[in-house]
Amino acid sequence: MTIIAISSDSYRMGREIGEKISKRLGYRYLDREILKEISAGSGISEGKLLKALEKTPSALGMSARDQAVYLAHIEKKVIGEFLKDNVVCHGLAAHLYVLGVSHVLKVRVLSNPEVLGKELAPGKDLSGDAMEKLIGRNENARKRWSLKAFSLDETDPSNYDMVISLNKIEINEAVKSIAEAVGYKKFKAMSYSLKCLKDEETAAEARTILFPRFPDAQVRANGPTVVVITKGMKREKQKKALIIKEMVGKIPGVNFVEVHIVNDILRQAAESLR
Amino acid sequence: MCIITISRGSYSSGKEVAEKVAACLHYDCVSRDILLEASDRYEVDEIKLVKAIHDAPSILERRGRKKETYIAYIRSALVSRVRSDNVVYHGLAGHLLLRGIPHVVKVRIIADIDRRSAMEAQREGITLEKARSAIIADDEQRRKWTQSLYGVDPWDSSLYDLVVKVDRLSIADAVDIVCDAAKREAFKTTPASQQKMEDLVTACAVKAALIEEFPEVMVLSEYGNVIIHSASGGRHAQKIRKAVGALETTIGGINSIEVHADGNAPPGSV
Repeated sequence: MTIIAISSDSYRMGREIGEKISKRLGYRYLDREILKEISAGSGISEGKLLKALEKTPSALGMSARDQAVYLAHIEKKVIGEFLKDNVVCHGLAAHLYVLGVSHVLKVRVLSNPEVLGKELAPGKDLSGDAMEKLIGRNENARKRWSLKAFSLDETDPSNYDMVISLNKIEINEAVKSIAEAVGYKKFKAMSYSLKCLKDEETAAEARTILFPRFPDAQVRANGPTVVVITKGMKREKQKKALIIKEMVGKIPGVNFVEVHIVNDILRQAAESLR
Repeated sequence: MCIITISRGSYSSGKEVAEKVAACLHYDCVSRDILLEASDRYEVDEIKLVKAIHDAPSILERRGRKKETYIAYIRSALVSRVRSDNVVYHGLAGHLLLRGIPHVVKVRIIADIDRRSAMEAQREGITLEKARSAIIADDEQRRKWTQSLYGVDPWDSSLYDLVVKVDRLSIADAVDIVCDAAKREAFKTTPASQQKMEDLVTACAVKAALIEEFPEVMVLSEYGNVIIHSASGGRHAQKIRKAVGALETTIGGINSIEVHADGNAPPGSV
Protein backbone atom coordinates (compact mmCIF):
# COMPACT_ATOMS: atom_id res chain seq x y z
CA MET A 1 0.00 0.00 0.00
CA THR A 2 1.46 3.31 -1.08
CA ILE A 3 0.15 6.84 -0.86
CA ILE A 4 1.16 9.91 -2.81
CA ALA A 5 0.01 13.25 -1.41
CA ILE A 6 0.29 16.08 -3.89
CA SER A 7 0.23 19.75 -3.03
CA SER A 8 0.29 22.44 -5.68
CA ASP A 9 0.00 26.21 -6.00
CA SER A 10 -2.56 25.53 -8.75
CA TYR A 11 -5.52 23.20 -8.16
CA ARG A 12 -5.89 22.53 -11.89
CA MET A 13 -2.23 21.61 -12.30
CA GLY A 14 -2.16 19.43 -9.18
CA ARG A 15 -5.24 17.60 -10.42
CA GLU A 16 -3.76 16.98 -13.86
CA ILE A 17 -0.58 15.60 -12.35
CA GLY A 18 -2.44 13.53 -9.76
CA GLU A 19 -4.67 11.95 -12.40
CA LYS A 20 -1.72 11.15 -14.65
CA ILE A 21 0.22 9.51 -11.82
CA SER A 22 -2.78 7.44 -10.75
CA LYS A 23 -3.28 6.29 -14.34
CA ARG A 24 0.39 5.44 -14.76
CA LEU A 25 0.63 3.48 -11.51
CA GLY A 26 -2.90 2.07 -11.48
CA TYR A 27 -3.60 3.79 -8.13
CA ARG A 28 -6.93 5.23 -7.05
CA TYR A 29 -7.21 9.00 -7.43
CA LEU A 30 -8.71 11.05 -4.63
CA ASP A 31 -9.59 14.72 -4.80
CA ARG A 32 -12.36 17.14 -3.85
CA GLU A 33 -14.95 14.95 -5.51
CA ILE A 34 -14.95 13.05 -2.23
CA LEU A 35 -16.41 16.08 -0.45
CA LYS A 36 -19.88 14.96 -1.68
CA GLU A 37 -19.50 11.71 0.27
CA ILE A 38 -18.18 13.52 3.33
CA SER A 39 -21.10 15.92 3.12
CA ALA A 40 -23.59 13.07 2.94
CA GLY A 41 -21.98 11.31 5.92
CA SER A 42 -21.54 14.35 8.16
CA GLY A 43 -24.47 16.56 7.23
CA ILE A 44 -22.11 19.46 6.53
CA SER A 45 -22.72 21.09 3.17
CA GLU A 46 -20.18 20.54 0.43
CA GLY A 47 -19.72 24.31 0.10
CA LYS A 48 -18.70 24.63 3.75
CA LEU A 49 -16.22 21.76 3.44
CA LEU A 50 -14.70 23.38 0.37
CA LYS A 51 -14.52 26.73 2.15
CA ALA A 52 -12.69 25.08 5.06
CA LEU A 53 -10.04 23.86 2.59
CA GLU A 54 -9.61 27.25 0.97
CA LYS A 55 -10.40 30.12 3.32
CA THR A 56 -8.79 31.30 6.53
CA PRO A 57 -11.29 31.83 9.35
CA SER A 58 -12.31 35.44 9.87
CA ALA A 59 -14.69 37.50 12.00
CA LEU A 60 -17.16 37.91 9.13
CA GLY A 61 -16.63 34.53 7.48
CA MET A 62 -16.23 31.03 8.82
CA SER A 63 -15.28 30.67 12.50
CA ALA A 64 -12.12 28.83 13.56
CA ARG A 65 -14.28 26.31 15.43
CA ASP A 66 -16.34 25.50 12.34
CA GLN A 67 -13.24 25.18 10.21
CA ALA A 68 -11.67 22.78 12.72
CA VAL A 69 -14.81 20.61 12.70
CA TYR A 70 -15.09 20.55 8.90
CA LEU A 71 -11.40 19.75 8.47
CA ALA A 72 -11.62 16.95 11.05
CA HIS A 73 -14.38 15.32 8.97
CA ILE A 74 -12.30 15.62 5.80
CA GLU A 75 -9.23 14.24 7.58
CA LYS A 76 -11.14 11.26 8.95
CA LYS A 77 -12.58 10.30 5.58
CA VAL A 78 -9.33 10.80 3.65
CA ILE A 79 -7.26 8.75 6.10
CA GLY A 80 -9.93 6.06 5.96
CA GLU A 81 -9.47 5.92 2.19
CA PHE A 82 -5.69 5.80 2.61
CA LEU A 83 -6.07 2.67 4.72
CA LYS A 84 -7.90 0.83 1.95
CA ASP A 85 -5.73 1.05 -1.10
CA ASN A 86 -2.89 2.56 -3.11
CA VAL A 87 -3.95 6.18 -3.47
CA VAL A 88 -2.87 9.41 -5.16
CA CYS A 89 -4.44 12.31 -3.25
CA HIS A 90 -4.62 15.96 -4.22
CA GLY A 91 -6.49 19.03 -3.02
CA LEU A 92 -7.51 17.67 0.38
CA ALA A 93 -4.54 18.98 2.39
CA ALA A 94 -3.42 15.42 3.16
CA HIS A 95 0.24 16.49 3.06
CA LEU A 96 -0.45 18.49 6.23
CA TYR A 97 -2.08 15.82 8.38
CA VAL A 98 -0.15 12.68 7.48
CA LEU A 99 3.24 14.27 7.98
CA GLY A 100 4.40 11.60 10.41
CA VAL A 101 3.37 8.62 8.28
CA SER A 102 6.45 7.28 6.56
CA HIS A 103 4.90 5.54 3.58
CA VAL A 104 3.26 8.72 2.27
CA LEU A 105 5.30 10.37 -0.47
CA LYS A 106 4.69 14.09 -0.12
CA VAL A 107 5.30 16.12 -3.24
CA ARG A 108 4.73 19.79 -4.02
CA VAL A 109 4.40 20.89 -7.62
CA LEU A 110 4.93 24.54 -8.53
CA SER A 111 3.32 25.80 -11.72
CA ASN A 112 4.95 27.94 -14.31
CA PRO A 113 4.35 31.53 -13.03
CA GLU A 114 2.80 32.62 -16.34
CA VAL A 115 0.34 29.74 -16.33
CA LEU A 116 -0.48 30.32 -12.66
CA GLY A 117 -0.95 34.08 -13.21
CA LYS A 118 -3.45 33.41 -16.00
CA GLU A 119 -5.28 30.92 -13.81
CA LEU A 120 -5.49 33.35 -10.89
CA ALA A 121 -6.62 36.28 -13.07
CA PRO A 122 -8.44 34.76 -16.02
CA GLY A 123 -8.96 37.04 -18.97
CA LYS A 124 -6.64 39.74 -17.62
CA ASP A 125 -3.43 40.71 -19.31
CA LEU A 126 -1.20 41.38 -16.31
CA SER A 127 2.28 42.89 -16.47
CA GLY A 128 5.20 40.89 -15.06
CA ASP A 129 5.21 42.88 -11.80
CA ALA A 130 1.45 42.64 -11.31
CA MET A 131 1.56 38.91 -11.95
CA GLU A 132 4.42 38.47 -9.47
CA LYS A 133 2.43 40.37 -6.83
CA LEU A 134 -0.69 38.33 -7.49
CA ILE A 135 1.22 35.06 -7.17
CA GLY A 136 2.88 36.36 -3.99
CA ARG A 137 -0.52 37.27 -2.50
CA ASN A 138 -1.90 33.86 -3.38
CA GLU A 139 1.10 32.15 -1.76
CA ASN A 140 0.77 34.26 1.39
CA ALA A 141 -2.93 33.44 1.63
CA ARG A 142 -2.16 29.69 1.41
CA LYS A 143 0.59 30.10 3.98
CA ARG A 144 -1.82 31.85 6.39
CA TRP A 145 -4.47 29.20 5.79
CA SER A 146 -2.16 26.25 6.47
CA LEU A 147 -0.65 27.87 9.56
CA LYS A 148 -4.09 28.56 10.97
CA ALA A 149 -5.54 25.15 10.10
CA PHE A 150 -2.62 22.81 10.84
CA SER A 151 0.14 25.02 12.33
CA LEU A 152 2.30 24.12 9.32
CA ASP A 153 3.48 26.28 6.44
CA GLU A 154 2.28 24.68 3.23
CA THR A 155 4.88 26.58 1.21
CA ASP A 156 7.82 25.37 3.33
CA PRO A 157 9.78 22.82 1.24
CA SER A 158 10.88 20.94 4.36
CA ASN A 159 7.32 19.61 4.70
CA TYR A 160 7.77 17.62 1.48
CA ASP A 161 10.01 14.85 0.19
CA MET A 162 10.31 16.60 -3.14
CA VAL A 163 9.35 19.92 -4.73
CA ILE A 164 9.21 20.09 -8.53
CA SER A 165 8.97 23.36 -10.40
CA LEU A 166 7.23 23.19 -13.76
CA ASN A 167 9.12 26.20 -15.05
CA LYS A 168 11.22 24.01 -17.29
CA ILE A 169 10.31 20.49 -16.29
CA GLU A 170 7.29 19.31 -18.28
CA ILE A 171 4.21 17.80 -16.67
CA ASN A 172 4.86 14.31 -18.05
CA GLU A 173 8.44 14.43 -16.82
CA ALA A 174 7.28 15.47 -13.35
CA VAL A 175 4.78 12.60 -13.41
CA LYS A 176 7.57 10.19 -14.31
CA SER A 177 9.83 11.48 -11.50
CA ILE A 178 7.07 11.17 -8.90
CA ALA A 179 6.01 7.71 -10.12
CA GLU A 180 9.62 6.55 -9.93
CA ALA A 181 10.22 8.08 -6.49
CA VAL A 182 7.32 6.16 -5.01
CA GLY A 183 9.17 2.96 -5.86
CA TYR A 184 11.93 3.76 -3.34
CA LYS A 185 11.79 1.37 -0.41
CA LYS A 186 11.09 4.01 2.25
CA PHE A 187 7.63 4.56 0.76
CA LYS A 188 6.51 0.98 1.13
CA ALA A 189 3.93 0.53 3.87
CA MET A 190 5.15 -1.30 6.95
CA SER A 191 3.19 -2.46 9.96
CA TYR A 192 4.44 0.51 12.01
CA SER A 193 3.59 3.14 9.39
CA LEU A 194 0.14 1.54 8.93
CA LYS A 195 -0.35 1.71 12.68
CA CYS A 196 0.57 5.42 12.60
CA LEU A 197 -2.02 5.96 9.86
CA LYS A 198 -4.67 4.05 11.82
CA ASP A 199 -3.85 6.16 14.89
CA GLU A 200 -4.29 9.32 12.81
CA GLU A 201 -7.70 8.05 11.70
CA THR A 202 -8.76 7.40 15.30
CA ALA A 203 -7.53 10.85 16.37
CA ALA A 204 -9.37 12.47 13.46
CA GLU A 205 -12.58 10.68 14.43
CA ALA A 206 -12.17 11.86 18.02
CA ARG A 207 -11.74 15.42 16.74
CA THR A 208 -14.97 15.24 14.75
CA ILE A 209 -16.74 14.33 18.00
CA LEU A 210 -14.93 16.74 20.33
CA PHE A 211 -14.40 19.90 18.25
CA PRO A 212 -18.01 21.11 18.19
CA ARG A 213 -17.89 21.31 21.99
CA PHE A 214 -14.15 21.53 22.75
CA PRO A 215 -12.54 23.28 19.75
CA ASP A 216 -9.20 23.75 21.51
CA ALA A 217 -8.77 20.03 22.25
CA GLN A 218 -5.51 18.43 21.18
CA VAL A 219 -5.97 14.77 20.35
CA ARG A 220 -3.47 11.96 19.87
CA ALA A 221 -4.14 8.25 19.50
CA ASN A 222 -1.90 5.30 20.17
CA GLY A 223 -3.60 2.03 19.40
CA PRO A 224 -6.65 1.69 21.64
CA THR A 225 -5.59 4.68 23.77
CA VAL A 226 -6.64 8.24 23.01
CA VAL A 227 -5.03 11.18 24.79
CA VAL A 228 -6.94 14.47 24.91
CA ILE A 229 -5.52 17.73 26.21
CA THR A 230 -7.84 20.69 26.66
CA LYS A 231 -8.22 23.83 28.72
CA GLY A 232 -10.60 24.21 31.62
CA MET A 233 -11.26 25.82 35.00
CA LYS A 234 -10.18 23.99 38.16
CA ARG A 235 -13.73 23.43 39.34
CA GLU A 236 -14.92 21.92 36.08
CA LYS A 237 -11.95 19.60 35.54
CA GLN A 238 -13.62 16.43 36.71
CA LYS A 239 -16.88 17.04 34.88
CA LYS A 240 -15.12 17.93 31.64
CA ALA A 241 -12.86 14.88 31.81
CA LEU A 242 -15.87 12.62 32.28
CA ILE A 243 -17.74 14.12 29.34
CA ILE A 244 -14.70 13.78 27.06
CA LYS A 245 -14.11 10.19 28.17
CA GLU A 246 -17.70 9.35 27.41
CA MET A 247 -17.68 11.03 24.03
CA VAL A 248 -14.42 9.53 22.80
CA GLY A 249 -14.97 6.15 24.44
CA LYS A 250 -17.77 5.47 21.97
CA ILE A 251 -15.33 5.21 19.07
CA PRO A 252 -14.98 1.54 18.07
CA GLY A 253 -11.58 0.16 19.06
CA VAL A 254 -10.91 2.80 21.75
CA ASN A 255 -10.69 1.27 25.20
CA PHE A 256 -8.85 3.93 27.19
CA VAL A 257 -9.20 7.70 27.11
CA GLU A 258 -6.67 9.80 28.96
CA VAL A 259 -7.77 13.40 29.54
CA HIS A 260 -5.53 16.23 30.68
CA ILE A 261 -7.22 19.49 31.60
CA VAL A 262 -4.81 22.41 31.56
CA ASN A 263 -5.74 25.47 33.65
CA ASP A 264 -7.44 28.09 31.52
CA ILE A 265 -5.55 31.05 32.95
CA LEU A 266 -7.32 33.68 30.85
CA ARG A 267 -10.81 32.51 31.82
CA GLN A 268 -9.73 32.23 35.44
CA ALA A 269 -8.37 35.80 35.41
CA ALA A 270 -11.52 37.08 33.73
CA GLU A 271 -13.74 35.40 36.33
CA SER A 272 -11.68 36.69 39.26
CA LEU A 273 -12.12 40.28 37.98
CA ARG A 274 -15.92 39.98 37.97
CA MET B 1 25.13 18.09 -21.52
CA CYS B 2 24.19 20.71 -18.96
CA ILE B 3 25.26 22.48 -15.80
CA ILE B 4 23.89 21.45 -12.41
CA THR B 5 23.92 23.81 -9.45
CA ILE B 6 23.29 22.29 -6.07
CA SER B 7 22.31 24.67 -3.32
CA ARG B 8 22.46 23.32 0.20
CA GLY B 9 22.59 24.28 3.82
CA SER B 10 25.34 23.04 6.08
CA TYR B 11 25.09 19.32 6.92
CA SER B 12 22.31 18.77 4.39
CA SER B 13 24.26 16.06 2.52
CA GLY B 14 24.28 18.33 -0.54
CA LYS B 15 28.02 17.86 -1.00
CA GLU B 16 27.71 14.07 -1.10
CA VAL B 17 24.81 14.32 -3.53
CA ALA B 18 26.79 16.70 -5.77
CA GLU B 19 29.87 14.46 -5.80
CA LYS B 20 27.83 11.37 -6.58
CA VAL B 21 25.84 13.12 -9.31
CA ALA B 22 29.11 14.28 -10.88
CA ALA B 23 30.53 10.75 -10.71
CA CYS B 24 27.34 9.25 -12.14
CA LEU B 25 27.16 11.66 -15.09
CA HIS B 26 30.97 11.86 -15.55
CA TYR B 27 30.82 15.62 -14.92
CA ASP B 28 33.35 17.80 -13.12
CA CYS B 29 32.45 18.69 -9.56
CA VAL B 30 33.43 22.21 -8.53
CA SER B 31 32.86 24.20 -5.38
CA ARG B 32 35.28 26.32 -3.41
CA ASP B 33 37.93 25.91 -6.13
CA ILE B 34 36.07 28.73 -7.89
CA LEU B 35 37.24 31.01 -5.09
CA LEU B 36 40.85 30.01 -5.73
CA GLU B 37 40.44 30.80 -9.41
CA ALA B 38 38.88 34.19 -8.60
CA SER B 39 41.60 34.86 -6.05
CA ASP B 40 44.33 34.15 -8.63
CA ARG B 41 42.66 36.00 -11.47
CA TYR B 42 41.80 39.19 -9.57
CA GLU B 43 44.60 39.07 -6.99
CA VAL B 44 42.34 39.16 -3.96
CA ASP B 45 42.85 37.23 -0.72
CA GLU B 46 40.81 34.04 -0.79
CA ILE B 47 39.67 34.70 2.76
CA LYS B 48 38.04 37.97 1.66
CA LEU B 49 36.19 36.10 -1.09
CA VAL B 50 35.06 33.43 1.37
CA LYS B 51 33.71 36.13 3.68
CA ALA B 52 32.02 37.91 0.78
CA ILE B 53 30.12 34.85 -0.32
CA HIS B 54 29.30 33.56 3.13
CA ASP B 55 28.53 36.47 5.45
CA ALA B 56 25.67 38.89 4.89
CA PRO B 57 26.96 42.44 4.26
CA SER B 58 26.97 44.73 7.28
CA ILE B 59 25.55 48.28 6.99
CA LEU B 60 29.05 49.69 6.39
CA GLU B 61 29.84 47.05 3.78
CA ARG B 62 26.61 47.84 1.96
CA ARG B 63 27.74 51.44 1.64
CA GLY B 64 31.26 50.49 0.60
CA ARG B 65 30.12 47.91 -1.97
CA LYS B 66 33.32 45.90 -1.45
CA LYS B 67 31.31 42.71 -1.08
CA GLU B 68 29.63 43.28 -4.45
CA THR B 69 33.07 43.69 -6.01
CA TYR B 70 34.24 40.34 -4.65
CA ILE B 71 31.02 38.66 -5.77
CA ALA B 72 31.51 40.04 -9.29
CA TYR B 73 34.98 38.43 -9.26
CA ILE B 74 33.56 35.11 -8.04
CA ARG B 75 30.76 35.21 -10.59
CA SER B 76 33.18 35.91 -13.41
CA ALA B 77 35.41 32.99 -12.34
CA LEU B 78 32.39 30.70 -11.99
CA VAL B 79 30.82 31.42 -15.38
CA SER B 80 34.21 31.02 -17.09
CA ARG B 81 34.67 27.69 -15.35
CA VAL B 82 31.25 26.24 -16.21
CA ARG B 83 30.88 27.69 -19.73
CA SER B 84 31.83 24.40 -21.41
CA ASP B 85 29.12 22.41 -19.54
CA ASN B 86 29.24 19.01 -17.84
CA VAL B 87 29.79 20.57 -14.45
CA VAL B 88 28.16 20.14 -11.06
CA TYR B 89 28.62 23.27 -8.92
CA HIS B 90 27.76 22.94 -5.25
CA GLY B 91 29.10 26.16 -3.88
CA LEU B 92 27.07 29.04 -2.61
CA ALA B 93 24.47 30.85 -4.71
CA GLY B 94 25.13 28.98 -7.97
CA HIS B 95 21.46 29.22 -8.92
CA LEU B 96 21.64 33.01 -8.56
CA LEU B 97 25.04 33.56 -10.14
CA LEU B 98 24.00 31.54 -13.21
CA ARG B 99 20.54 33.08 -13.52
CA GLY B 100 19.09 33.27 -17.01
CA ILE B 101 20.98 30.31 -18.49
CA PRO B 102 18.42 27.76 -19.74
CA HIS B 103 20.65 24.68 -19.54
CA VAL B 104 21.28 25.01 -15.81
CA VAL B 105 19.45 22.54 -13.57
CA LYS B 106 18.89 24.33 -10.29
CA VAL B 107 18.65 21.89 -7.40
CA ARG B 108 18.31 22.43 -3.67
CA ILE B 109 19.07 19.63 -1.24
CA ILE B 110 17.49 20.01 2.18
CA ALA B 111 17.47 17.88 5.30
CA ASP B 112 15.63 17.76 8.56
CA ILE B 113 17.04 20.11 11.23
CA ASP B 114 17.35 17.23 13.73
CA ARG B 115 19.39 15.16 11.29
CA ARG B 116 21.61 18.16 10.49
CA SER B 117 22.10 18.97 14.20
CA ALA B 118 23.04 15.36 14.95
CA MET B 119 25.65 15.40 12.18
CA GLU B 120 27.13 18.71 13.33
CA ALA B 121 27.13 17.61 16.98
CA GLN B 122 28.95 14.40 16.06
CA ARG B 123 31.51 16.10 13.84
CA GLU B 124 32.22 19.05 16.14
CA GLY B 125 31.88 17.18 19.43
CA ILE B 126 29.27 19.61 20.79
CA THR B 127 25.83 19.18 22.32
CA LEU B 128 22.75 18.82 20.13
CA GLU B 129 21.37 22.15 21.36
CA LYS B 130 24.57 23.98 20.45
CA ALA B 131 24.67 22.27 17.06
CA ARG B 132 21.06 23.20 16.41
CA SER B 133 21.70 26.85 17.32
CA ALA B 134 24.78 26.94 15.08
CA ILE B 135 22.82 25.54 12.13
CA ILE B 136 19.93 27.95 12.62
CA ALA B 137 22.41 30.86 12.81
CA ASP B 138 24.15 29.66 9.65
CA ASP B 139 20.84 29.33 7.79
CA GLU B 140 19.87 32.83 8.92
CA GLN B 141 23.18 34.21 7.66
CA ARG B 142 22.53 32.59 4.26
CA ARG B 143 19.04 34.01 4.19
CA LYS B 144 20.30 37.53 4.98
CA TRP B 145 23.09 37.23 2.41
CA THR B 146 20.74 36.22 -0.38
CA GLN B 147 18.11 38.77 0.57
CA SER B 148 20.53 41.66 0.82
CA LEU B 149 22.26 40.93 -2.49
CA TYR B 150 19.51 39.41 -4.62
CA GLY B 151 16.28 40.28 -2.79
CA VAL B 152 15.13 36.67 -2.65
CA ASP B 153 14.79 34.03 0.04
CA PRO B 154 16.97 30.94 -0.52
CA TRP B 155 14.18 28.82 1.02
CA ASP B 156 11.78 29.87 -1.73
CA SER B 157 11.26 26.67 -3.74
CA SER B 158 10.36 28.59 -6.89
CA LEU B 159 14.04 29.55 -7.30
CA TYR B 160 14.86 25.93 -8.09
CA ASP B 161 13.80 23.31 -10.61
CA LEU B 162 13.92 20.63 -7.97
CA VAL B 163 14.05 20.52 -4.18
CA VAL B 164 14.85 17.14 -2.64
CA LYS B 165 14.69 16.39 1.06
CA VAL B 166 17.27 13.86 2.16
CA ASP B 167 15.51 12.08 4.96
CA ARG B 168 13.21 9.33 3.79
CA LEU B 169 14.73 9.75 0.35
CA SER B 170 18.31 8.54 0.73
CA ILE B 171 21.38 10.20 -0.77
CA ALA B 172 21.35 7.55 -3.52
CA ASP B 173 17.67 8.29 -4.27
CA ALA B 174 18.41 12.03 -4.45
CA VAL B 175 21.30 11.30 -6.84
CA ASP B 176 18.96 9.27 -9.07
CA ILE B 177 16.37 12.04 -9.10
CA VAL B 178 18.91 14.77 -9.96
CA CYS B 179 20.63 12.66 -12.66
CA ASP B 180 17.27 11.88 -14.17
CA ALA B 181 16.32 15.57 -14.26
CA ALA B 182 19.65 16.48 -15.86
CA LYS B 183 18.90 14.15 -18.77
CA ARG B 184 15.66 15.95 -19.58
CA GLU B 185 15.34 17.63 -22.95
CA ALA B 186 14.58 21.01 -21.33
CA PHE B 187 18.07 21.21 -19.82
CA LYS B 188 20.06 20.18 -22.88
CA THR B 189 22.45 22.80 -24.17
CA THR B 190 21.29 24.35 -27.44
CA PRO B 191 23.19 26.79 -29.66
CA ALA B 192 20.94 29.59 -28.31
CA SER B 193 21.49 28.68 -24.65
CA GLN B 194 25.25 28.34 -25.24
CA GLN B 195 25.22 31.82 -26.79
CA LYS B 196 23.53 33.12 -23.64
CA MET B 197 26.28 31.47 -21.61
CA GLU B 198 29.01 33.07 -23.76
CA ASP B 199 27.32 36.45 -23.36
CA LEU B 200 27.13 35.97 -19.61
CA VAL B 201 30.85 35.12 -19.52
CA THR B 202 31.64 38.30 -21.45
CA ALA B 203 29.32 40.51 -19.39
CA CYS B 204 30.68 39.15 -16.10
CA ALA B 205 34.30 39.65 -17.22
CA VAL B 206 33.58 43.27 -18.23
CA LYS B 207 31.73 43.93 -14.97
CA ALA B 208 34.58 42.42 -12.92
CA ALA B 209 37.07 44.59 -14.77
CA LEU B 210 35.10 47.77 -14.10
CA ILE B 211 33.46 47.28 -10.74
CA GLU B 212 36.22 48.52 -8.50
CA GLU B 213 36.38 51.90 -10.22
CA PHE B 214 32.72 52.09 -11.31
CA PRO B 215 30.69 50.09 -8.80
CA GLU B 216 27.29 51.17 -10.16
CA VAL B 217 27.71 49.91 -13.73
CA MET B 218 25.42 47.24 -15.15
CA VAL B 219 26.61 45.21 -18.12
CA LEU B 220 24.72 43.34 -20.80
CA SER B 221 26.19 41.37 -23.67
CA GLU B 222 24.22 40.22 -26.70
CA TYR B 223 26.15 38.22 -29.27
CA GLY B 224 29.31 39.93 -28.06
CA ASN B 225 27.89 43.44 -28.34
CA VAL B 226 28.44 44.83 -24.87
CA ILE B 227 26.28 47.62 -23.47
CA ILE B 228 27.36 49.26 -20.24
CA HIS B 229 24.73 51.21 -18.34
CA SER B 230 25.82 53.82 -15.84
CA ALA B 231 23.48 55.70 -13.55
CA SER B 232 26.04 58.40 -12.72
CA GLY B 233 25.53 60.77 -15.64
CA GLY B 234 27.38 61.88 -18.77
CA ARG B 235 30.76 62.84 -17.27
CA HIS B 236 31.01 59.52 -15.57
CA ALA B 237 30.08 57.74 -18.80
CA GLN B 238 32.96 59.50 -20.49
CA LYS B 239 35.37 58.09 -17.89
CA ILE B 240 33.92 54.62 -18.42
CA ARG B 241 34.37 54.93 -22.19
CA LYS B 242 38.06 55.67 -21.63
CA ALA B 243 38.44 52.74 -19.23
CA VAL B 244 36.77 50.18 -21.50
CA GLY B 245 38.99 50.92 -24.46
CA ALA B 246 41.53 48.35 -23.38
CA LEU B 247 38.95 45.67 -22.54
CA GLU B 248 38.19 44.79 -26.15
CA THR B 249 41.67 43.33 -26.46
CA THR B 250 41.98 41.74 -23.01
CA ILE B 251 38.55 40.10 -22.81
CA GLY B 252 37.63 37.65 -25.55
CA GLY B 253 34.29 37.53 -27.36
CA ILE B 254 33.65 41.29 -27.53
CA ASN B 255 32.44 42.73 -30.86
CA SER B 256 31.66 46.23 -29.70
CA ILE B 257 31.21 48.20 -26.50
CA GLU B 258 28.66 50.96 -25.96
CA VAL B 259 28.30 53.04 -22.83
CA HIS B 260 24.87 54.46 -21.94
CA ALA B 261 24.46 57.05 -19.20
CA ASP B 262 20.70 56.48 -18.74
CA GLY B 263 21.01 54.01 -15.87
CA ASN B 264 18.08 51.98 -17.22
CA ALA B 265 19.77 48.61 -17.38
CA PRO B 266 17.55 46.03 -19.13
CA PRO B 267 16.70 42.70 -17.47
CA GLY B 268 19.53 40.20 -17.75
CA SER B 269 22.23 42.80 -17.07
CA VAL B 270 24.86 41.83 -14.51
